[in-house]
Amino acid sequence: MTRERVRFSGMRGIASVPTYVVMQPTTLCNLDCAYCYLPFRSQDRKMPTEVAAAVAAAVNDWARDGRFSVVWHGSEPLATGREYFAELLAPFDPGVEHHVQTNATLIDDAWCEFLTAHQVRVSVSVDGPRERNSERVGRGGQPSYDRVMRGVEALRRHGIGFSALCVVSEPTPGLATELYDYFLELGCDVLGINIEEMEGVNRRGNDHPAAAVSGFWSELVAAWRRDPRIHVREVEWSLRYAAAVLDGTADRVLPAQLDPIPTIAYDGSVVLLSPELAGFSDPRYADFTSGNVLATPLPTILGMPERTPWIAEFLTGVEACRSSCPYFGFCGGAHAANRYFEHGRFDGTETNHCRNSKIRLLEGVLNHARDHQPPAS
Amino acid sequence: MPETTSRRHPDHVEEDSLDPVAARVRGARAGLTALLSEAEEARRQRAEVAAGDGGSAVCAWNHFENIPTFYNWNNRPR
Repeated sequence: MTRERVRFSGMRGIASVPTYVVMQPTTLCNLDCAYCYLPFRSQDRKMPTEVAAAVAAAVNDWARDGRFSVVWHGSEPLATGREYFAELLAPFDPGVEHHVQTNATLIDDAWCEFLTAHQVRVSVSVDGPRERNSERVGRGGQPSYDRVMRGVEALRRHGIGFSALCVVSEPTPGLATELYDYFLELGCDVLGINIEEMEGVNRRGNDHPAAAVSGFWSELVAAWRRDPRIHVREVEWSLRYAAAVLDGTADRVLPAQLDPIPTIAYDGSVVLLSPELAGFSDPRYADFTSGNVLATPLPTILGMPERTPWIAEFLTGVEACRSSCPYFGFCGGAHAANRYFEHGRFDGTETNHCRNSKIRLLEGVLNHARDHQPPAS
Repeated sequence: MPETTSRRHPDHVEEDSLDPVAARVRGARAGLTALLSEAEEARRQRAEVAAGDGGSAVCAWNHFENIPTFYNWNNRPR
């Protein structure tokens, strides 16, 4: 019997309504992590409240139709300060969900009370045990780990559940087990693991031996399987895709269209699809922005994404991935920032990030499954 | 968790050049079926399975698919 290759139909074009927006309340971060991609993290440029109000005008409408989230993201959102953060939150309706991605170093009892009062969900950036956090340092190079743990302890004291985001710079044997055991002890509900990416001002290479990366992911599955209390993003997504293939529903995994994920920079400028592009410029692509919410309503900006030259090129790249990559149904196409920072363009296809975090992930999970078949099968 | 059995069929899954990834998945079906079953039970234990009315579960599967920051997978901020 001849089977035809699955022709994945998702990820065609960009949706005009996002499922969430990313907001940069300040460019400042109190840390200076070695792998950070953000260019202005030593400067404190705060988002004017007018920007938040302009975004809220659109978001409040979208939230009336269903679940909608605002992610307060990098640099360090809590560096904004509680009083000013509250002013930025004020224009949003109560039904809008808020999230922060934080290094946790500023979290204390007062912040916990704030986060609880405003129902802000918390995700903590931490790279594992103390010795794995040597890249996460303050401006003077001083370690941040004790401060991170003080923040986590405050979250625990206040009964605030949290997620964790871990960067892995060098996937080596034994590391996945060490990390998973650590995060079990830390008590996070959800874990995401990012193999370090070469993007933004971080130009460190991210080309790793295939066997090392797939071995890392295989080991993570084995560690998770022994005590699967944590929702591990990469494991869940891999298993979801595998289940869909086995069920013959693989084409339903990808969203029909790309989520525009508008990132609203501190000054109101809007970058679509890849927050990592915010703050950069290129002679070929200018500053990557698609408009500014202080001049144009966000729905209007989202209604004409192809007018931004790099986005048209990116969509060409997505189609190239669709036609050339057997992992497209799992991945949905190389991410815009990875294409740009690795290839210098948006219409290339496979990136090191694809290999590290998509292809070898799936291969690692499948290798684990292949090597751990039930004896009776 | 089943012990490592290492019954490596000669990568029969790579035979299907039309859809090598799907072939790899199908080739690991036995191991995956056990793994998927354990994952489903783990979700139940974590209270991530959607409620019947789709409304009350705090951590429904879709919650993790669609909510922001690092949960999002296919195109996402970090």
